[in-house]
Amino acid sequence: MTAVVVRRGAELLFALLVLSLLVFLLTALAPGDPAEEILRRGGVQPTPESVAALRAELGLDRPLFDRYLSWLGDVLRGDLGRSYADRSPVAGEIAARLPATLRLAGAAALVAGGLAVLAALMAVLRPGSPVSRAVALVTVAVSGVPPYVVGIVLISVVAVGLRALPTGGGDGPGAVVLPAVTLGLAGAATLLRLLRADLAHAVRLPFVKLAAAKGLRRRRTIVVHALRVAAPNAITAAGVMLAELLTGAVVVETLFSWPGVGQLAVTAIRQRDLPVVQAYVLVTAVAAVLLLALAELCLAACDPRVRRR
Amino acid sequence: MRRRLLITLMAVLTALLPGCGGQEAGPETAQLTLAAPRDLVAGPEDPYYVHQTLRVWEPLVTVDDRLRPVPALAASWSAADEGRRWTFTLREGVRFSDGTPLTAESVVANVERFLRIAPRQSAFFSLDAGVEAAYGKVEDVRAEAGAVVFTLEEPVADLPARLAGFFSMVQSPKAFTASGGFAGRPVGTGPYTLAEWVKGQRAVLTANPHYHGAAPAYEKVVVRVIPDANARVAALRAGEVDGLIDKGALLPAQAPAIAADDAFRVLRSPSVLTHYLTFNASRRPFSDPRLREAADLAIDRQAIADTLLAGTAAPGAAFLSPVFGDLAAPGVTAAYDPGGARALVAEAGAPSAPVTILISSAETGQFPYADIAEVLRAALEQAGIPAKMTVAEATKAVMESGDYDVFLSAYSVPNGDADYLFRRFLHSDAPWNVERRLGYRSAEFDRLVDRAATETDTAARRDLYHRIQGLLAADRPMIPLAYQDNPIVTTAAVGGVRQSVAYVVDLGALAPST
Repeated sequence: MTAVVVRRGAELLFALLVLSLLVFLLTALAPGDPAEEILRRGGVQPTPESVAALRAELGLDRPLFDRYLSWLGDVLRGDLGRSYADRSPVAGEIAARLPATLRLAGAAALVAGGLAVLAALMAVLRPGSPVSRAVALVTVAVSGVPPYVVGIVLISVVAVGLRALPTGGGDGPGAVVLPAVTLGLAGAATLLRLLRADLAHAVRLPFVKLAAAKGLRRRRTIVVHALRVAAPNAITAAGVMLAELLTGAVVVETLFSWPGVGQLAVTAIRQRDLPVVQAYVLVTAVAAVLLLALAELCLAACDPRVRRR
Repeated sequence: MRRRLLITLMAVLTALLPGCGGQEAGPETAQLTLAAPRDLVAGPEDPYYVHQTLRVWEPLVTVDDRLRPVPALAASWSAADEGRRWTFTLREGVRFSDGTPLTAESVVANVERFLRIAPRQSAFFSLDAGVEAAYGKVEDVRAEAGAVVFTLEEPVADLPARLAGFFSMVQSPKAFTASGGFAGRPVGTGPYTLAEWVKGQRAVLTANPHYHGAAPAYEKVVVRVIPDANARVAALRAGEVDGLIDKGALLPAQAPAIAADDAFRVLRSPSVLTHYLTFNASRRPFSDPRLREAADLAIDRQAIADTLLAGTAAPGAAFLSPVFGDLAAPGVTAAYDPGGARALVAEAGAPSAPVTILISSAETGQFPYADIAEVLRAALEQAGIPAKMTVAEATKAVMESGDYDVFLSAYSVPNGDADYLFRRFLHSDAPWNVERRLGYRSAEFDRLVDRAATETDTAARRDLYHRIQGLLAADRPMIPLAYQDNPIVTTAAVGGVRQSVAYVVDLGALAPST
């Protein structure tokens, strides 16, 4: 296991390095001169001299690779630059919004994972029962609908119609429910299909018969042993899903005016606030890479064969 | 088993739903919750910190519903020496929210700060060309016998109008650091103080105990930021907010349905926002004035205002909208004449390649620009001018490269300063005209604009502005398409809602309706 962690760690470091280079190039090679942009935002009509002076001050006249190294150094020290729009440090901006995004992603993962595991277990424990069929049907049907439609329906029925929950907004503990359910439903179906198929396969494996022969109760056999055997594909998918939740909740964050990084990114893109967009891409990409690595570690913990590979 | 699963499910749900249904039930009269599309607080890096709407600070001069300058912290003003010397007398008994009195010296300190920090970008009104127009000719500003006296290098006909609103903000000099930044929270003279601010989420205002006017009816006002238009209306309908305010609070398409609901009151008042079409006359085909005229005649402005803008706008004609009062030229009309348009195109020769109608993706969220552009495209094609629509993220770069023919966009002016609009957009050396390749060069226009700026006789100045608009209606570098209202809404429980043409809702005047 230690060897796996070390090797994966080295791979991870390399992946992050490549990633940082890509993110850097993405903005460094984007059209438009940052120096000119900053001067214009400051309300000054840029002159060739003032642009050249600011370029020198920002180090934009240095070779690309030098710039990359100093940018990487800044990033490692936690300095993500300053926003063009209001000059505030980008790192602070992201840090202020990350908790909201994490809260939403966590709650959505809970909804998705909880629904998928419950429905899959029901399907295997009580195949053909009306409840398990209904749950599976609803989950799959709803997941076929784009999240913004689910969100709008939830808002108009639960928040506006029943006034049972807030329409979002990030204030108060109830606010997370509707966006989390919206995101969670979208992810639940994928997980459910994987888990149900793998679980159905697992319960036909010889060890289940052995367990039954040894007198273990079927429910315990399935919930504890078969589920673990059936988990790997779903865990991989959950890792990808969680990464998507962190990066791609832009639509749902906008719909529910959720004060997370997705909403920040949308505003920044509209205002062409390049440092904020760059930081968003960097942070979410790093989070995605780390999550996938984490999913892999979980797999290794679940499945001894992965550890030996 | 099934029962246990259900119990688990219930447990998970209860864990997820703490506190729902238990929305705070404080006394409704004392607190008000509003929502706005943008953050009305810009923070300590901004020259003003908060928007005028929040009523934390007050200006010397503000504008009425016809963009005429009216007293705010200045009780009155007078001009002398043909507009070279302006004296503003201050209202008496005014205190800042920290308890210190408002003095002429504190006003001078604010003006000096503006002059020192400009040009400076702002989330609201940048201290660039606007502040240059307001303060550009100031030779000296000083406190004299309790009044504020501006001495100018050249006569300025309408200094109060140019200072109105943001450019004459007054805050306690103690609120600022030596470099002109903010030392802490803003310290103004308005009915409210900023008690709490969560960037991009909400501002909490509490009543200012030192306010010189009647105490506001609501002790506490929360202004939430909800950028998405549908989310705003959902929050309103769900009873989470008592109203939606600020520029673009309700989309034109949303206004009729909300207005039909008895629970809400929609206020549609005219705004300084006008939709214009800007022509690229620096290249063919619109370098030909006949084709600009044809395009102008081909557009059914009434249909755009009534249908696409859902009656929240009036068809445009004169360059200055009716909110400019008697400065708007009454004689200018915009005809809808598709037959005339076709004849002009036939005479001038139809362009072979389609013309590009450019719109900004940033504006499509606020106004139905994609639909309007589609209607414009159809109108141009019927007149014989083939057209296509382009949506761009960075319209500025596109325009600076000259790769467009017509640009549809909305503009507003921060105060009643007509000079600002003409000088900034269409003067031969105006940044808009030059950088965005409008190709408009008119010596007569430049001369009239320069004359109007220094003409101190009100009637003569008004006539000059009418002549300028007549000239623009003939030359057509930019044509007004529609004058936009700004619909805002509150629940029927809120009264006293008034909105200035510059989207400023006087939060201090809101009160439970009886």
